[in-house]
Amino acid sequence: MDTLFGITGKDFVITAYDSKAVASITLMKIGEDKSRELNSHSIMLFSGEPGDGVHFSEYIERNVKLYGIRNGIELSPKAVASFARRELADSLRSRKPYSVNLLIGGYDVKTNKPSLYWLDHLASSAEVPFAAHGYGAYYCLSLLDRYHREDITEEEGVKLLQKCIQELRSRMILNMPDFVAKVVNKDGIRIVQL
Amino acid sequence: MSIMEYNGGAVVAMVGKNCVAIACDKRLGVQAMTISTEFKKTFQVTPKTYIGLPGLATDVQTLAEKFRFKVNMYKLREEREIEPKTLAHLVSSTLYERRFGPWFVEPVIAGLDKENRPFICSTDLIGCINFAKDFVVSGTTSNQLFGMCESLWEPDLEPEELFETISQSLMNAVDRDCLSGWGAEVTVITPDKIITRTLRTRQD
Amino acid sequence: MDSLVAKYSNSASTSFDTEDSLNNNSGGWDAASQFALPSFDIPLVANPVDFLRAHTDPSAENRIRIQHGTTTLAFKFQGGIVVAVDSRASGGSYIASQTVKKVIEINPYLLGTMAGGAADCQYWERELGRRCRLYELRNKERISVAAASKILSNMVYDYKGMGLSMGTMITGWDKTGPQLFYVDSDGSRLRGEKFSVGSGSTFAYGVLDTGYDYNLSVPDAIELGRRAIYHATHRDAYSGGSINIFHVKESGWSFEGNYDVGALHWEYQALPKGPIA
Repeated sequence: MDTLFGITGKDFVITAYDSKAVASITLMKIGEDKSRELNSHSIMLFSGEPGDGVHFSEYIERNVKLYGIRNGIELSPKAVASFARRELADSLRSRKPYSVNLLIGGYDVKTNKPSLYWLDHLASSAEVPFAAHGYGAYYCLSLLDRYHREDITEEEGVKLLQKCIQELRSRMILNMPDFVAKVVNKDGIRIVQL
Repeated sequence: MSIMEYNGGAVVAMVGKNCVAIACDKRLGVQAMTISTEFKKTFQVTPKTYIGLPGLATDVQTLAEKFRFKVNMYKLREEREIEPKTLAHLVSSTLYERRFGPWFVEPVIAGLDKENRPFICSTDLIGCINFAKDFVVSGTTSNQLFGMCESLWEPDLEPEELFETISQSLMNAVDRDCLSGWGAEVTVITPDKIITRTLRTRQD
Repeated sequence: MDSLVAKYSNSASTSFDTEDSLNNNSGGWDAASQFALPSFDIPLVANPVDFLRAHTDPSAENRIRIQHGTTTLAFKFQGGIVVAVDSRASGGSYIASQTVKKVIEINPYLLGTMAGGAADCQYWERELGRRCRLYELRNKERISVAAASKILSNMVYDYKGMGLSMGTMITGWDKTGPQLFYVDSDGSRLRGEKFSVGSGSTFAYGVLDTGYDYNLSVPDAIELGRRAIYHATHRDAYSGGSINIFHVKESGWSFEGNYDVGALHWEYQALPKGPIA
């Protein structure tokens, strides 16, 4: 199972996914994008059932973009998370539910606050200062508890993420060194080098 | 593992003298792993009525939204606030609608009616209402809560005494449950004000 | 009447009376009998293993709940070994106790930790203590940690597949210096520098690995052990209570304190977390 990370700081959210695409025991590809930019200031990371993540996140992406075009105002990260949660919850009790775990990171340009939402495949949602999905969560949540502060800088955020990845490299039996990190801040979304 | 124990959580409500109290823990877990300690399970539905929804977190959130919608629609149609007793029946029929594929929550309702008489009740996950004159409990900690409430509760408690009683009941109950705790929120409803307090509890 | 009692008491017991039979065979005291495995009454059913499993399975209607869920850790460093454990015992999601002693003091130079079945760990480490004492009396020197852990491993391996549940670390100081072994009921026995065992072990590893350095001072090492267990109790539902810490040094082990997590959490919250190195 793949691992996702999200960490909020003073004026940004940093998210990361491991870029390996796996089918059964075969590594199909390195460099697979497991995130979608929902609008200029929010990003969704997904893991879980192969295929479901891409389909669900693109469905949400198109609807969030459509909302922006129709109304001339973008949804806030909180609104995006509520919308995604409800879509996932409705799908849960349908004939064929999506099986995806999500992290939604965003920067609210109105309030100038970063936010991060954790959603699991049952569509339980929580706003958190930092989050992880997959087995990596079992090693890194305690580490994040230990070192995370609300007011960390972007530089410190990257360092913290590196600590987490280092821990996974040394402890997880499934080695996954290929992480891609993306930062959301007031200027939008960009990839950062780890 | 039962689906009702997947996320953990506890809710309790008590009757006092011309007041009621409702309290919940704040943990959101995925089985053994704690995800958030800010996940509240009680929601205000009218100025003098609260609903507590312990159970599967996704259904807690969906139902909280659903009840808000239904209560708003009721208010628009009737041009008055819903009575707690009416709310209980609304909750019951909403749950029974899903008799063969239930919402995995066991709601607790606490409020004051239009004559400011205390009202509490709980239902099971398919809508069987349990009216009570003293206290109701729900969630993964219900056994422990029954024990605490049976020994601490007494009739005609004043708001501050009721706050102390419900807080002690909840805190000591969740200290015997792995899946609940990590903070608590207590709300006391009186005819002229609502007191909401966050409790500092053990974080393990 | 006596014969009746004798008849039924015999038929109800199928224990392997090793001590008696060995004594009779050799016609006197036999040194080997003291190292024979203890005998247990086995239920009189076709397959005792299935019988026990049927009653301890999570799906069983009236399940016998055995204590599970723990965080324990031990690591070697410049000043010896630090052993830190939580103190929660849970049966299902019920907290049975918050004051369990999960470090078992085998003798003044040997410590064992407890994860998995509480009774299994307590019994077999007590039995290990007895054997280590006998070894000492016979050989006029203390047993090595390697030998002690191997005795434990061998004893529980005899019962493999019968439902024993034990994940333990055996630590101590012998002629070769500080030693640390991981022993479990599957029969694994690993020598190592740094271990954590139990449901909260992954959380403890997260903190332990990032803060670890062989050259840590004694107070810093003790603090690291305490911190790692604290973070595990915070995230793992089945760990909690209080933290017990031991320090193993050349003169034997010493108890380094008991810290209630309820109070410790707020102490740590008030503390500045410092920069991220």
